Amino acid sequence: MIQSNPLLLMVGLPIVIGILCLPLSDRLKSVAKVLSFLVTLASLAGSIFIFIKRPMNWQCGVTTMFNADNLSSFIGLGISFFAFLITIYSFGFVEKSLGRYFGYILITLGVSLGVAFANDLIALIVFWGILAITLYLLVNMQATESSSRAAKKALIIIGSSDAIMIFGIALIWMITRTFSMDRVRLPLTDITSLAAYICIAVAAFAKAGAMPFHSWLPDVAQDGPTPVTAYLPASLDKLLGIYLLARASLNLFIMNSTSNMVLLVVGSVTIIFAVMMALVQHDFKRLLGYHAVSQVGYMVLGIGTGSPVGIAGGLFHMLNNAIYKSCLFLTGGAVEKRAGTTDLTKLGGLAKNMPITFISCLIASLAISGVPPFNGFVSKWMVYQGIIELGKTGARLWIVWLACAMFGSALTLASFLKLLHTTFLGQRSKDLIDIREAGFAFAFPMVTLAGICCIFGIFAFAIPLSIFIIPSIGQAISYLGVWVPTTATALLMISILSGLLIYPFYRPKMFRSVQTFVGGEDPESLQRVSGVEFYDTIKDMKGLKFIYEKEEAKSFDIYDQGKNIISFFTKILQHLHNGVLPTYIVWCLLGMIGMFFILFFR
Amino acid sequence: MTYMAKALEYAFLYLIFPGFLFSSAMGLLIGWIDRKVTARIQWRVGPPWYQNFIDVLKLLLYKETLVPEGVSKTFFLGMPAVAMASATLVSTIILVINAIPQKGFIGDLIVLVYLLAMPSIALMLGAFASQNPLASLGASREMKLMLSYELPFILSLVVPIMKSGYSIRLGDILIKQANNGSLIGSPSGAISFFVMLLCIQAKLGFVPFDISEAETEIMAGAYIEYSGKALGIFKLAKAIMTFAVPIFLITLYFGGIKFSPVGFIKTILQFILILVLMIVIKNTNPRVRIDQALKFFWGPVALLAVLSVALAYLGY
Repeated sequence: MIQSNPLLLMVGLPIVIGILCLPLSDRLKSVAKVLSFLVTLASLAGSIFIFIKRPMNWQCGVTTMFNADNLSSFIGLGISFFAFLITIYSFGFVEKSLGRYFGYILITLGVSLGVAFANDLIALIVFWGILAITLYLLVNMQATESSSRAAKKALIIIGSSDAIMIFGIALIWMITRTFSMDRVRLPLTDITSLAAYICIAVAAFAKAGAMPFHSWLPDVAQDGPTPVTAYLPASLDKLLGIYLLARASLNLFIMNSTSNMVLLVVGSVTIIFAVMMALVQHDFKRLLGYHAVSQVGYMVLGIGTGSPVGIAGGLFHMLNNAIYKSCLFLTGGAVEKRAGTTDLTKLGGLAKNMPITFISCLIASLAISGVPPFNGFVSKWMVYQGIIELGKTGARLWIVWLACAMFGSALTLASFLKLLHTTFLGQRSKDLIDIREAGFAFAFPMVTLAGICCIFGIFAFAIPLSIFIIPSIGQAISYLGVWVPTTATALLMISILSGLLIYPFYRPKMFRSVQTFVGGEDPESLQRVSGVEFYDTIKDMKGLKFIYEKEEAKSFDIYDQGKNIISFFTKILQHLHNGVLPTYIVWCLLGMIGMFFILFFR
Repeated sequence: MTYMAKALEYAFLYLIFPGFLFSSAMGLLIGWIDRKVTARIQWRVGPPWYQNFIDVLKLLLYKETLVPEGVSKTFFLGMPAVAMASATLVSTIILVINAIPQKGFIGDLIVLVYLLAMPSIALMLGAFASQNPLASLGASREMKLMLSYELPFILSLVVPIMKSGYSIRLGDILIKQANNGSLIGSPSGAISFFVMLLCIQAKLGFVPFDISEAETEIMAGAYIEYSGKALGIFKLAKAIMTFAVPIFLITLYFGGIKFSPVGFIKTILQFILILVLMIVIKNTNPRVRIDQALKFFWGPVALLAVLSVALAYLGY
């Protein structure tokens, strides 16, 4: 008996329309565009409705299939919002097989909402599994060799983590005899429930891209279509992965110091390792891919601290990261579309050509580096505070976590300054002089996201924290005497503006444009400083050089290492396949005898 | 009406005392001390006390401002303003908290750490925008330098946090020191202070860590395209930083500024002590290469910071 219900409609409508979109040929591409625009808009409106009307649920028979509480309705709102912006962006970006493309986008939207609202563990794993497939299909849209390799890698890593998650769910069922998430509340005292928690966490890590399951993300970022990267790995996968981790850590299980320690270690290693890799990249999108990994570390770290302020910081960081990271990927896509490449050695000096893209990218870069007053600062600050709260309780290693988090932030800034230099600032290479600014479909999502970066930073406590984050974790956080960025921002803005006014105030003719000065040489004759090699000093340091070489040889890549192990075993098994029929028959007979013995003596 | 009064109060604090006007005047005076002591070490006479003031005024009022061709003007000229605004904010926050420890907020220490990095970030972005290869080189060195000193800086910051009972409020750190004696008196505090001293030497771009400017090598590096008002504003921002950063150290390690007559003289002496230490380091060392600086800060200095943290754990 199925009644109509807003939650069911929210999940079902995008999936149905998405499937209908799939066969549309490119002659009917405007139909696909209009349909997907309308559906994403409707779903945005619907999730706002659900967010306001929460809590809500949908009963299917006796089980509560969907449930929209504070956390999941907030996640659902985020999902619909990003789907809407990415759809608009895709109008400008995607040119071929639009029916299929928008079909997948809509199915992904519906399925993601399904994950967010699912209250039944079986429903959760079904939707969760479909997501890996739509990611594979979307990344593989262009079907080039590199993109299909990246898509395959993503599918294998995420798919195997899904299998581990199924095992975790089975363990939960074994202990509690229920699949209803609202009825599960397990203390992590025995080994079975700890194993169940780790299994769920592995799936969350793989989806969000935390170490050591991260290696699919940079590849997808580099070779997949940019809006897809901005849509799935940069925003939706982060929201859902961290949602699952938060759900498991806050509701399904009662955390103890061991499980927190796992999260803290994973978080810190992820932050430092991925950002060190990002420092030396020379592709715009691959660099962002490594940052997409590194930022997950802060969220995991925040949840791992176990203190309310840290958890709130982790969740807030998840939201912030989705915002600025997809903004960054979108600017990357705009550059790719106009300049025809994302190779940093070929770019440079685009600020004059693409001012809107540049400003959006600048704001998002500063936000991700945690520069006040943007949003990334507030959430990082909350994570730091969570870590220090942890120190108060007597945990010894808090300094390590704090140093990793704060130093990681400096490294992030460094790699983004390099990105800004090599793409937008610095000297322009000659073939980029005629580049135009990207169109409205590009500019609208970028500017919206950059604007939100500012608003969420300056009014952090008034808007995002009190509306979305604090209700989600269900614990009160004291507001007393916290950093209120509004005054400081106002002072900064006023003084920067007045600083700018000083210039024209005195005799404007005192400003003269001259050629750059390089000791009297002709600047054109000198080699262009592209900036890609900025951090080679660090790469060449003794201990680090070894690690960098290992990483480039894929020694830390769980995918390649897994491949090595499997091919090791297949090599052994290969010897048995010698093509001689009698050998095969002997094997069959041996097997039959073995089975006979087992069955007979049981 | 109360909003109005509040706004006026903030404006006064920020713009006049102890903010922009006071801090920059103090910073320029400190610049004079630096020049005078350096001159005496080198057996010269040195400039009169007002030299730095007229230098900056000349840049601000009379000198032409040149902008490189094909550069986004607003961005290029805006960066000095960003640097100055954040330097002023740092100075204001530190001084106001010193006067009234209750004025601070939770985590103001972290806000300050980030704001202290802002002038450098603005300088780097401005240099990148200037499209000059030497400026790009200089700015990239500045970034690497920042990476190198940031690690020991964060680690040694942990000691005051631990000693104040896990508080990241500057006010709490001050109150704790007022009750238990200055941090510098304990072994961990002394080591941590020494590490911090090296870090701020690099933060302020003093020799031997003036790698990003390196006049004789890359012609002032990051500053190369800046002239006139833009350069003047950068100089002011730097002057404010040379005032605010030692005060930051005094706050963390010497128990802050004392306002009794004897205490005030003590504070001034402490300030001069830090300053002279910095100037002596500056005048007795040649400039290091950037990879040497990296090795230095990530190697021995970071280890020293770890040692101070370990000592703080053991209660020393």
